Parts: sequence; C-alpha cells; structure tokens
Amino acid sequence: MKFTNQLTVGVALSLLASAAFAYDADWKRGRVYYRSVCTSCHAVQPVGTINPSSKTKAEWAAYLKGDKHAKGKDTVKQYVSKAYRASIKSGNKAAEKFAAVPDQELLDDIAAFLTKGAKDGDAPASCN
Amino acid sequence: MPTFMRTTLALCCAGWLAATGPVLADDAKPELKPVKLTTTADHTKFKELQQVFNSGPEVTKACLRCHTEAAGQIHRTKHWKWEYLNPQTGQTLGKKTVVNNFCISVASNEAACNSCHVGYGWKDASFDFKSEENVDCLACHDTTGNYKKPSGLAGNVVTKDMEFPPGSGKILKAIDLSKIAQKVGKSSRDTCGACHFNGGGGDGVKHGDLDSSMSAPEKEVDVHMDATGLDFTCATCHKTSSHDVAGSRYTPTAKDSKGAHLRGKADNGNPATCVACHDNAPHKKEARLNQHAAKIACQTCHIPSFARGGIATKMTWDWSTAGQRDAEGKHITKKDAKGRIIYESRKGDFTLGENVKPEYVWFNGQVTYTLITDKIEKTGQRTPINKIGGSPSDGKSMIWPMKVFRGSQPYDPVNKTLVTPHTAGNDDTGYWKNLDWDKAIAVGMNTSGHPFSGKIDFIKTEMSWPINHMVAPKEKALGCVECHSKDGRLAGIPGIYIPVRDNNKLLDTVGWAIVFLTLLGVFGHATLRIVTARRH
Amino acid sequence: MSERIYVFKLFERFWHWSQAGLIMFLMLTAFDIHGTYTIFGFEKAVAYHTIAAWSLIGLWVFAIFWHFTTGEWKQYIPTTEKVMAMANYYLFGIFRNAPHPFKLTQLRKHNPLQRLAYLAIMVCVGPLIWVTGVLYLFYDNWAAWGLTALQLEWVATGHIIGAFMMLAFLIAHVYLTTAGHTPMAHIKAMITGWEEVD
Repeated sequence: MKFTNQLTVGVALSLLASAAFAYDADWKRGRVYYRSVCTSCHAVQPVGTINPSSKTKAEWAAYLKGDKHAKGKDTVKQYVSKAYRASIKSGNKAAEKFAAVPDQELLDDIAAFLTKGAKDGDAPASCN
Repeated sequence: MPTFMRTTLALCCAGWLAATGPVLADDAKPELKPVKLTTTADHTKFKELQQVFNSGPEVTKACLRCHTEAAGQIHRTKHWKWEYLNPQTGQTLGKKTVVNNFCISVASNEAACNSCHVGYGWKDASFDFKSEENVDCLACHDTTGNYKKPSGLAGNVVTKDMEFPPGSGKILKAIDLSKIAQKVGKSSRDTCGACHFNGGGGDGVKHGDLDSSMSAPEKEVDVHMDATGLDFTCATCHKTSSHDVAGSRYTPTAKDSKGAHLRGKADNGNPATCVACHDNAPHKKEARLNQHAAKIACQTCHIPSFARGGIATKMTWDWSTAGQRDAEGKHITKKDAKGRIIYESRKGDFTLGENVKPEYVWFNGQVTYTLITDKIEKTGQRTPINKIGGSPSDGKSMIWPMKVFRGSQPYDPVNKTLVTPHTAGNDDTGYWKNLDWDKAIAVGMNTSGHPFSGKIDFIKTEMSWPINHMVAPKEKALGCVECHSKDGRLAGIPGIYIPVRDNNKLLDTVGWAIVFLTLLGVFGHATLRIVTARRH
Repeated sequence: MSERIYVFKLFERFWHWSQAGLIMFLMLTAFDIHGTYTIFGFEKAVAYHTIAAWSLIGLWVFAIFWHFTTGEWKQYIPTTEKVMAMANYYLFGIFRNAPHPFKLTQLRKHNPLQRLAYLAIMVCVGPLIWVTGVLYLFYDNWAAWGLTALQLEWVATGHIIGAFMMLAFLIAHVYLTTAGHTPMAHIKAMITGWEEVD
C-alpha cells in the first residue's frame, strides 16, 4: 500500500514535470508564420504557394527533419531563425511580431500547423 | 514484488530527474518557473479529462463537475434556445422560428442545421432544453481546431470512424475528444467562425463580412483582427458575461451615443459597438468627420466593401430554378470560371460577389421579420424577410451599410404565407434528395405546425444584413467623393443635404447664366470699344 | 500734359494682389468642390479651399485695420454724385472717345460706380460668403452655438449664390480695369501705385 502510494506520487510527479516543461506547440502561431512569412514569399517565387494539404503528415515530418529548403540549397530552419526574422521584420509584420520567439518553439508551431493541415491531418488546410 | 516496485519508483524518479534536469540547472538563474500565461488552469492536468470520451455529453459531464453553473448559464442564451423575444416588436424570433431566403428554415431540418447548435442531439421538437449534459462546451472552447460537428448528426460528434450518409461510401473521421477536452481554452475566431463564418451553409455564404479569411486575417481584411497586429478575437468586442455573448442582429444598436465604456459605469450598453471603445468623436485630425458620425454609422465609411478576404459571398439565390435534372435524371451542378458553384439542382441559381459595395439605408435598430404566420402579397416589390426600420427624421437612425440578399423562394399562394420546406435529410421527402417540392413543403409545414394549402408558387424576397466586420485600415476608409458626388454611394438616401449630390440645378443654371451674361456684356462692350476706337 | 498721382500705397497693392490671387484660387477650388470639374478632387479641393479661406480672413483682418488707421475706409463712402455721368460714360461716352467724367485724386481714387460696386461687394457678397463659409467650416459646432434650426442646405445655397456673384464681379472688374484713360492705366497703377491722369 505504502509502495503503491509512492509509486502514484512518482508517476504523478514525472507526468507533471514533463507536462509543465515540454513546449506546447501553438498551431495558430504556426499558421500565422506559415502564411505571412513562408507563403507570402513563395507566392511571388517561381515555386508558388504550397498548401499544407499538399503533403501527408509523414511527408511534412520528413521535410522538417531533412531540413532542406530549395532542394538542399539552404535549410528550412534558417527561415524560421531569429536572425532571418530580424532581417525581414521591417517589411513583414509576422516576423516583427514573433521576433523574440525562440527558434525551436516557432519551428514546433509550424510543425504543429503542418501536421494538422496535412493531407491526412485533422484539418487539411490551404494557404489562405 | 517490493523489488519490482522499487525499480519502478527508481525509474520514475530517473525520468523525473531527466525531465527536470534542465530546469534544475536553470535554478541558478533567478528566472521564474515557466507557466502558461493564458490560463490559470492547465486542463491536461485534470484527472477528469484523462479518459476516453465516447460522446460529447460525456465531456460535458466532466466539465460540469467543476464548472457547475456553466450549463445553466448557457440555457439562458440565444445560442442554446434559438429563440428570442424582441422586446421592441414583440416578435418571437430565433433560429428555431425565423424564415430566411437562404436555406429557409430549421424546422424538419434539425439534424443538418443543428450541427451549429451549442448542444448535442437536437434532431426534432423532442429535444430536452433542460438537459445540462447536452450543452456543448467544446464548440466554443476548443483550441485545437479539430473539433467538428458534421451536418446530419443533430449536433453530435463522431468518436468512431463512420460511413455517412449510410451507403454513401463517405467516411466521417473520428475526433479525439480526450485531447480536445484537455486543451480547452477561451473562444477564438476559429471557434466562433466554425458556425458564423459558415452561415447559410458554406464559407462566407450568408454574412459577407464574416468568412474564413478572418480566422487569421491580414490587416487589410480586418484592422482589429489582424493576426500579426491587434489580433482581436470575436469576444474582444462581443464581450461575454455569464456565457451570454453581447451583440445581436435581432436588436442591433444602430446609434450609440453613450460614448466609450467606462468600467463599472451603470449604463454601459452594447459593448460590441464601435463607440464602446472609440467614443462618439474619434476623429482627432478632422473634427468635421465627427459631425458626419452624428448621422453616418462608422461602418459606412470604414467598411468600404465586404467579402474582401478572397472568399465570395452569395448575393442572390433563386430557388425557383431548382429541380432540373440532366438527361440521365441526375442532379446538375454548374460552376463559374473560378470554379464556384452557381447552380445546383437541389438549390437553384446563385450569384456570388467579392469586394462588394454595400447598399445604404437609414437604420434605427428596429428589425421586423416576416414570420411564417404573417400574410404576404405577391406584388411588384420584393417581400422583406426582415424589414429594416429607420428614417432621416426619427432621431434614432444612422446611415448604415447593408448586404442585401435577394432571392426567390417557395410560398403558399392560397394561405399567402412563406413556407418551411424539408430540405436536408436522407429521406424520401427531403427536397435535396428527391427534388419534389410538394412532399418537401408538406412535410416541412407539418413539422413547423403551420397550415399548407398544397399550392406552391415562388415569391421574390430580400433580406438585409447590417455590415459590421471587415473594418479596413483607416487609409482605406471611404474618400469624400464616394458620397459627395452625383450618383455616389449615398445617391438614394433621402432626407439629408449632401453637398455636390444635392446641388440645386436651378441655382446652378441661374448662376451660370449670370456669369455668362456678364461675360457677354464684357465682350460686347470690348468689341464696341475696339470698333469705335478704329472709327475715331 | 499728364500728371502722375500716387493712388495705391504699398500695403494696398499687396492687399489687392494677394487678395486677387486668393480669390481666384478660391474660385478654382470652389467649382472643383462643386463638381463642375475635377482638378484636385473634392477632398483636396476642400482642404485647399479651407486654407485659402483662412489666409484671406487673415489678410482681411490686416486690411480692415489698415483702412481704419489710415482713414482709407472713407474711399468707400457711397455718393450719388456723377453716378449717372459714369454710367453714361461706360454706356456711350467710352465709344465716342468722350473724356472720362471722373477726375481721380488721392482722396477720391475710386469713381462713384466703383465705390458703389466695391461697397456692394463688401457689404453684401462678402459677408454672404464669409458668414456661410464660416458656418460651413464649423458645421459640427452649430448645435453648441445654439443654431439648431439652421439647415445645411440654406448655408450651402447662400455660399453658392455668393460664389456666382463674386465670379460675375471678378469678370466685370477685370474688364473695367482696361477702361482707364488707356487700357493699361489702371493695371499699371495697381502695380506701381502711380496713376497717370489727364
């Protein structure tokens, strides 16, 4: 009985700890960044806009993990970095608003939005 | 046994240490523990929500265990009752009762329409409005964006993949209620929008100033909701108290002369008006514009057009052309060049519009509906679904922008009333399945409990929607010349003198005649002088 | 043969020409606002018209002060003396090369018709334009001023009547400047201050 109690406490503590300190991705912030930074640039580039629903969850996960932008010419992370946001913030309100967000958090937000909006996601999404 | 326990405990502790390791290391810095700042309660931590939910009401029961008064509060609202007694006109309104010229009416179509009810299971008149567990908390409090109430299920949710309609081969995917329940939060543009963006049966169809472009809009679309700017949610203006959302289309505030709201002021009115924040004299540089604001609603100049977010709104709907079939007897769908549907056998012809200039009328906030019990006459004029009250001289009216939605819909030419057809439904009498007005109207009128002669004709109607949202940045507000010109936006507005629009023709004629005669005299005189000077 | 009289002092000339410029600019913007043509467009024309109007009001404050301190206001006291003679001259004499019936002096620099015309402009057309114009500008203060019964339409109509009368005056005035003893005599006088008289 005593051990069981200790066990419960242990489990509860570890649950609490992981819940409190794991970053809780904000898909809505990811949505704004994806549309206002990624899409606004893609719309005028030869690639055109890329709907989240054009890839599956697995494909998006692989894309983000591979971290290859423009067929490997540069990285995806670079376009989510604070440095990049600082470089475009004078002309991009989303970059300005999220200027201070840690890179990994913003990347997680975008990943959450893409996972949600993927072809097989919970709510397939277009760019607009 | 104790060994196993100890090992487990050790493992848990190790996990805990691993998880907290970085935090403990951070303890060196005088930083505060990271917390969620948007709420005081992290619902993932609540045991009541750490379970599998097989239906919506199960979630609600869990919510009510702590939020004991919430359902009772919801029970008092329009969102729940779909019934509203207009104190000005004495009319009983609400979605349950009114007839419009979109999908016409709810009665007999509950299973479809009531996917937008804040409840579970309203499939017919037997619905229990006293039920607490049938209140739908998640419709407004979901933050995941994954909560869905498919049409046809009477507001219920899908917790196991199912084929719907049965035999259609279409699969409705299950949603994870547990995850959604653990992530509840404040209402958002997405939650309100799930219904209000889709009024009339699709994105942007009904309102024109509300569509999915406003879920994360740019500044150009809505200066207040601008996702990278002010980022208002709906509730920022529609300030909600005891679950009762402020602002109403049944009794709108057409003229708010009470000034900006002060906290605690006893007579604070509707918090959703422009004035509630901006006060009655908001123009700092051009005081002249404040005078304009005495007769012109803010919306008139500051919402230059609606449906600006790239999503078209329906402007007309002609039910009288519904029912056509192709050579094989199948339903037809026609699309325009942009791929938007402009004809469906089950609905008739539509026209759509983007960046639509509103129509303008004097409006005093009084809206009188043509109800199913009201007698109507087929005349040369359109029957108003909702008559907009107002006049230039009643002291209560302002010039308002409206989306005027025009249509032709079935009515009973013998009883001289509108009718409530049974449209949606996977049954033999649903018009959308069988395209048979006789059956559809007979069943629908029987359900709504009103007499039907059996004769059917179509009557032209119009419905006015005051435009409130999609407020443009101030640089995009209407310029003077939009109204101060012949045939400007306010060309048809009576009872007010608008310089340029109302230039007096007689005065202009006489004025120019005097100028012309003066010139003639001058030239005549000069000519004579020249001629006579030569002679001398 | 001819003598030169210093009729228009420096301030008077400055007043005249800046007023002329402002009035013509006001005319230009007025009919732009009125919708007769579009040069600046309603919004800008209103802004310019307002600035020009305030400038002219400022100029008038100085001019009125000047007229009273110098006693020049007496130049506008109406007289019936030689009015018929002047009318007769403009209608007939001028074509027969008859002598100008009015001998101008420093103390009587306007002929009787001029006196009457300028006075009419100053007591009828001017006030009409100014009163209606200022009311127009302060439309939003009417209620505070207790002018609840006032209609914008009356004010607008009065202002427009004034504008047409001023335009007609402007045309006649410009033409009659050529009716001196030489066509350019009056104009030169208004530039240099000196008028040659017979």
